[in-house]
Amino acid sequence: MSHSKAASIFNTDEKKVNWHDKALWFVRHKRDKSVHAVEGWENLRSLGHGIKAHTLSNLDHYLTEFEANAIKNGVQVHWAADAEEHNKIVHSILKKHNAKKIVKSKSMLTEECHLNPYLEADGMEIIDTDLGERIVQLAKEPPSHIVLPAIHKTKEEVDELFQEHLGTKPCGGDPQYLTGEARKHLREKFMEADAAITGVNFAIADTGGFVVCTNEGNADMGAHLAPVHIACMGIEKIIPKQEYLGVFLRLLARSATGQPITTYSSHFKKPIEGNEMHIVIVDNGRTEQLSRPDFRASLHCIRCGACMNTCPIYRRSGGHSYDATIPGPIGSILSPGKDLKKHSTLPFASTLCGSCSDVCPVKIDIHSQLYKWRQIITKETPQPLVKKASMKMMGKVFSKPSQFERVGKVARWSLRNLPKSVINSKPNVWGKERDLPLGPKESFDDWYKNREKND
Amino acid sequence: MIGIKTEKKMTSRENILSRAKANKPDLLELPVINVEVFADGKDLLEEFTKKVEVVGGNVVEQNVSETIFSQVSKMYPDAKVNYATLEGAGDFNTVSLEALKKPHELENLDVLILESILGVAENGAVWLSDGQLPIRVLPFITNHLVIVLKKENIVPFLHQAYPILAKKDNDFGVFISGPSKTADIEQSLVIGAHGAMTLTVVLK
Repeated sequence: MSHSKAASIFNTDEKKVNWHDKALWFVRHKRDKSVHAVEGWENLRSLGHGIKAHTLSNLDHYLTEFEANAIKNGVQVHWAADAEEHNKIVHSILKKHNAKKIVKSKSMLTEECHLNPYLEADGMEIIDTDLGERIVQLAKEPPSHIVLPAIHKTKEEVDELFQEHLGTKPCGGDPQYLTGEARKHLREKFMEADAAITGVNFAIADTGGFVVCTNEGNADMGAHLAPVHIACMGIEKIIPKQEYLGVFLRLLARSATGQPITTYSSHFKKPIEGNEMHIVIVDNGRTEQLSRPDFRASLHCIRCGACMNTCPIYRRSGGHSYDATIPGPIGSILSPGKDLKKHSTLPFASTLCGSCSDVCPVKIDIHSQLYKWRQIITKETPQPLVKKASMKMMGKVFSKPSQFERVGKVARWSLRNLPKSVINSKPNVWGKERDLPLGPKESFDDWYKNREKND
Repeated sequence: MIGIKTEKKMTSRENILSRAKANKPDLLELPVINVEVFADGKDLLEEFTKKVEVVGGNVVEQNVSETIFSQVSKMYPDAKVNYATLEGAGDFNTVSLEALKKPHELENLDVLILESILGVAENGAVWLSDGQLPIRVLPFITNHLVIVLKKENIVPFLHQAYPILAKKDNDFGVFISGPSKTADIEQSLVIGAHGAMTLTVVLK
């Protein structure tokens, strides 16, 4: 389904769209308040960009260095070329330990690889322990946002879901009560877990360690209690030195939620004595994205979600409308690199206003990349007939000033004189859900010439 | 064996590394961090206290007239299971870590007192690592977490924290900023997700 079609389904509930829009704008606002209080914020963003760009330009070296140090630390390192191999590796580690109950903290990579269904097919129980992820897991939905997985759910919906699955009492959607019940439910899961899976926010080449950031403490509750810890990371998570965490941890939470840092920034290096620690390093299309000069900067992404919170399209179309693991502006430049045909409408889900690039903590030129993908997509994938024809027509009109002026005159007259039923008729998508402005009597060109005359 | 060509399938490791090597751009320079551009002249103690409170924690001064243990006991009068890693804990400790068969048995821990060697003013985070953590799950599994920190060990930004940590061999370490929290239900902040439900920093 095209993004616009999926978005129109989300838009059938206008009240919910407005609520969704406001909820995300609230997060964007918190981000603004937080970053404006940081002296040298723009310097910090430039550093984030520069360190990531350097790392990608020497990626094979840093991956090798990271691996060697991690092995020295007693960690077992695995490499997966694609999602399938990743799932197989994780499965085989779990199988070796006869693990049946697994707790998992947030990891977009394991979402991307569809790890849960793979493990469930072998009878394993895999529990997402981040509250938002647990909510969408119970609802059998994918996350709709990378930081706020259940942002599309109202508290009343969560209330119903918990009543059905956790046996809670009806509470009118009281977040305090629901969170307390989730804590109890997930505490049990942590106590029983045979293995813990986490994502990786940053992997440090010079120490072989990695950092996992959470607000809830779920990654730590899983990793420190279970005898086996498997951490899954994309190759782009590498940073050269530990001191650069100073840059990225300052950027990440402020951009994500406006917090000065996440509650827990856990630095894992060596396993607990007697326990096992594994790292799975995954490519799954990333080296291919690295080969594209116009798009490789998309690999700088530290998954803060700021571009989603600010995007006027995302806020009004919801994360699920993107039908991709990573939704929103950043997802729309990552996904076409994986499957151009499937995700061909995503780069068009943007006004190209550039707000995503402005808030990006590592200065990815997201809106320019969206534009560049459009150039490729219109050449390589079939476009709707109406779009093709109207683009051709527009091209002709814009190329001749006299013709442009004639069409403008007709359009201005029409907007003043035609009845609303005609102006807002079905073929005019601009008239959908909005009144068009009254056409001015003169064009800018006329106004400018008259102004000169009157001077 | 010389002269014999062996055809071996590339492993995924070799495959990924060779593709990364082939597809990467020309080497770009690593930027230099000039920490002076971040200096904001804020008072460290004031900023640290403000940030701990912003993230949902409390900051108190250590009472000179009593021990830290009696001070903390008064803060949590209903606590039954307590543990402190500090010297002289004596009766305060109701559990013996040596007697534990597995860390899961700490499930009912009410109050935990730990010492931190480093605090960060800009985000109210305190550092805990294996040196201060006899069992890693301690600061997460406890209901209430109390962390003792010397005022002179507060640095302005993370940039000043990492050089200090680089000198130490941390097998596991964590920056903790406030109690555990979530806003996953309609963006309403709820304190007490999976980790500690309160966090108090005692400054000495």
